Amino acid sequence: MRDGLDRWADPPLLVLASLAEEPKHGYAITQDIADTMGVRLSAGTLYAVISRLESRGLIEALESDDRRRPYRLTAAGARELAEQSERMTQVASVARQRLRVNYGWAGA
Amino acid sequence: MSAGQPRQAGGAHVLARAALGLYPPVWRARYGNEVLALLEDSGAGVAAAASLAWHAVPAWACPPRHLYDRRERMRASVATVGMAWALLAGLAAVFTQLAQAQRQVQGPTLAQHPVIAWSYWAFDACLVVSVLAVAVGGVPLWLVMLRRARRARRRGEVALLLAAAVVPAAYLAAGAVVVALVRGPSRPVVPWESRSMVDLANGGVGPRWFLALVLLGFAAALVSAAGPGLALRRLRLHGPVLVLAARAAFLAAVTMGLAGAASVVAAVGLYQWAPAYAGYRGAWPLAVYLSAVLLAAAVAVISAARGIRASRPPAVA
Repeated sequence: MRDGLDRWADPPLLVLASLAEEPKHGYAITQDIADTMGVRLSAGTLYAVISRLESRGLIEALESDDRRRPYRLTAAGARELAEQSERMTQVASVARQRLRVNYGWAGA
Repeated sequence: MSAGQPRQAGGAHVLARAALGLYPPVWRARYGNEVLALLEDSGAGVAAAASLAWHAVPAWACPPRHLYDRRERMRASVATVGMAWALLAGLAAVFTQLAQAQRQVQGPTLAQHPVIAWSYWAFDACLVVSVLAVAVGGVPLWLVMLRRARRARRRGEVALLLAAAVVPAAYLAAGAVVVALVRGPSRPVVPWESRSMVDLANGGVGPRWFLALVLLGFAAALVSAAGPGLALRRLRLHGPVLVLAARAAFLAAVTMGLAGAASVVAAVGLYQWAPAYAGYRGAWPLAVYLSAVLLAAAVAVISAARGIRASRPPAVA
């Protein structure tokens, strides 16, 4: 139980980060997020996120004959992901520096 | 980008399909097949079904903008809120007749109870605000629709719009005639005689006529609300008057829902604290009333939330 402290692992950001690699359909997105980021998204969460991101124009659906429709990141989605990543990097940098100074943390 | 190996679909898969059925039709049409494909690939468990069911609530309350036409969404919301509001108004009228207006029963025994007194006060206040909201948002919309329908000589739409005024008037006239014909002297309330509240508070027309008038009243309320709602969908009206109606519908739905909640608190209070002879100890009428209020209020508030969301201009991504 992480008591809500894993909120930076926001499902929309995870999906954007997953699609930054290549277009993927729902199952491929959940597998990629589970393998690379250690978070397992349920079908309900994933499609709630996909519909929101699509609604905001951050991702778009590609044509497909299969029921498994792939999605790709749009230019606006890439900008949003870059902004959020920058912010997370800044937070992580400050946290690492203070952990080193005050707690003798020797991590990366 | 390959799909995983399909897994066995069992009871959980049926549950997940059922959970998918809770989503708005337009959402299902867009994402339903993809979700089913994902469940086939990943295996549908009870947790997946529960997650799907949970996310159906925001899919109704905050529908993704790209799936809807904003104007159509507002029109549908105003029409649905109108129907649910009419049902709640009918329930409020029944509550007023059966509980609030029965001073001869409540005066000496219940009015002093703070929970019931405050519930009555909240019920009245919310009801007034809700009726005002309907007037502010509904009357201008109704007038604009009537003008447009008459100019375009659309008699069907004119008839639907006039139903909002004609049907309640006809119902009240018919009700007045029935009451005048069948009304008899009310039996006095006696502390040792146990009677149902419908038997006590039927306005002197007897329980059967009272129930008939109540059912007829609900039918009249729904028809009078459905008429303008249908006309709104057919006339495809838009513009500031529709936005005002969608916003007023939100206020009307929320306040009517609060009035319904206050009446439920009062009804439970009466069930709990009223003396047996006051007629409020019936569990079935209370359960039916509570369920009807909750259902109608949920439909009204969720639909109103969808409407007010659609009334806002789209955000630029």
